[in-house]
Amino acid sequence: MRGRAGRPPLWSYWVVLPLFVLLWGSIAWLLQSPLLPTPLNVLDTLVRESATGELWRHLGATLGRVVVAFTLAMIIGTAIGIVMGRSQTTNALFDPLLVLLLNLPALVTIILMYVWFGLVEVAAVMAVVINKVPNVAVTVREGARSLDYRLEEMATVYEFTRWQRLREVWVPQLFPYLMAATRGGLALIWKIVLVVELLGRSSGVGFQLHMAFQVFDVAAILAYSLAFIAVVQLIELAILQPLERRSSRWRQPEAAHA
Amino acid sequence: MLELRIAGRDFGQPVLGEVFATIARGDRICLLGPSGIGKTTLLNAIAGLDKSVPDEAVIGRDKLRVGYLFQEHRLLPWRSLDANLKLVGASDQEAKTLLEQVGLSGYGHYLPDQLSLGMARRAALARCLAVKPDLLLLDEPFASLDPVMAGELKALIAGILDSHPDMAMICVTHDGGDAEILANRLWYLDGKPARLQWDDLIAEACLINGLLDKLRSLEPARL
Repeated sequence: MRGRAGRPPLWSYWVVLPLFVLLWGSIAWLLQSPLLPTPLNVLDTLVRESATGELWRHLGATLGRVVVAFTLAMIIGTAIGIVMGRSQTTNALFDPLLVLLLNLPALVTIILMYVWFGLVEVAAVMAVVINKVPNVAVTVREGARSLDYRLEEMATVYEFTRWQRLREVWVPQLFPYLMAATRGGLALIWKIVLVVELLGRSSGVGFQLHMAFQVFDVAAILAYSLAFIAVVQLIELAILQPLERRSSRWRQPEAAHA
Repeated sequence: MLELRIAGRDFGQPVLGEVFATIARGDRICLLGPSGIGKTTLLNAIAGLDKSVPDEAVIGRDKLRVGYLFQEHRLLPWRSLDANLKLVGASDQEAKTLLEQVGLSGYGHYLPDQLSLGMARRAALARCLAVKPDLLLLDEPFASLDPVMAGELKALIAGILDSHPDMAMICVTHDGGDAEILANRLWYLDGKPARLQWDDLIAEACLINGLLDKLRSLEPARL
C-alpha cells in the first residue's frame, strides 16, 4: 500500500524531463511542421490562452466536474464497499453487478447516460460516478474484510456509537485502502471527465481538445494537456501526499519507549 | 447483580457446557483452569461479545457498565492515551487522574504502541476504570510480564479493588497465587465441554493450606 517507496530520487526528474523537452524541440525544429509545434510554440499558446482567461475557465469547469464526481464516487463506493466487506449476503447480492460494471467500458456508460438523460451536466457527472464506484467499492471491500476483530470487540464492550466506530475504528484502518482508491480514482476520473466533455459538454478541457482536434491545432492540444498534467500533479503534491503523511504518523513511533 | 444461565457454546465441537452462577457486587472472582479450556470464551460470553450466546443468558448485564482488560491492550493505536480514555467518556481531568493512578502521569500524549507491554496494559486498565465499571473483566492480566512488572500490576489491581468495594471482578489466570492476592471467590473451569467444577468462596484455611496444591489434587473424577 505504500506507494512512495518505489519513487526514484528527485534529481532524475530534473534531468530526464528537460532532456525530453530538448529532444522534442530538436525534432520539431528539424521537421518544421505545424503538426509538431516546438515547446516554445506550446508555451506561447499556453500564455495566450491563460491571458484571455479561456484556459482557467475550462480548467475550472473540468476541475469542478472531477471534484463533484470524485466526492460522490468515494462516498457511494466506500459505503457499498464497507457493507459488502461486512455482510456475506450483501456481497453475494452486489458482487455479480460489480463484475458487470467493472468490465463495462467507460464509453458505453457515457453514451447511455447522454442518450437517456440528454446532454446535461447531471448525465455527465453520473456517467463518471458510475464508472468509478465499482473500483472504490472493490478496494474498500478488501479493507473492510481485514478490519481487526479485536478492535471490534473493544468497541462493542465500550459501547462506541455507530459514528464513533466509523470514525475512530474503521476509517483509520481503511485509510490505506481509501488512499489507494483515491489515487486510482483521481487518475481514472480525470480521463473519463475529458471524454465526457468531448462527447457532450460545451466547456472543459475535453471540449477544448475537441475544438483543437477539429482544426488540427496541435499546439493547443499540447498546451491544454500540459496545464492538465500540472493541475493533477499539484493536487498530488498539495493534497494527497500531506494527507498521507499526516495520517500514517502513528505507524512510525519516534522511538520504542522504556 | 448478574446471573449467568449460559446453555453452552460450540465452535464446531462443544467447548463450553452449561454455566450457571450468580455474581454479586464486591465479588472478586478468579477464574482458573487448564489452558485452552474456554476461560476467555466464558469471559467473552459474560461481556456480551459472543453473538451466539443470547442476551437472556446473562441476566442483568444491560444495567451494568463493564470494563474489559483484554490480553492485548486494544487501545486505538492512532489515538493518544488521553484520547483513548476520553473516547469511553472520561473528562480531561479524569483522564489525567486515571493515568496518574496507573503510574503513567505525563504519558497522556503518547501513542499506545510507543509504550512497553506493561505500560500499555496499565493504560488499558485505566480505560477500564474510565467507564466507572460495575464489573471488571481481566483476561490474564499478568501474562508475558516479567515478575517485577507483574508484581507491580498485581499490587495496582489489588489497590483498585480496595478503593472500589462495590465493583465486581472476574480475573482469568493460570496462577493460584494471583487468586490468593486478588480473589475472595474461586471458579475452576474444566471438563469437556467445560463447566464450573468449583465455585467457592476462598476460605482463609484454604489459602493457608496452599491453593495451588489443592487445585492440582483436584481430579475431575472426584467432583
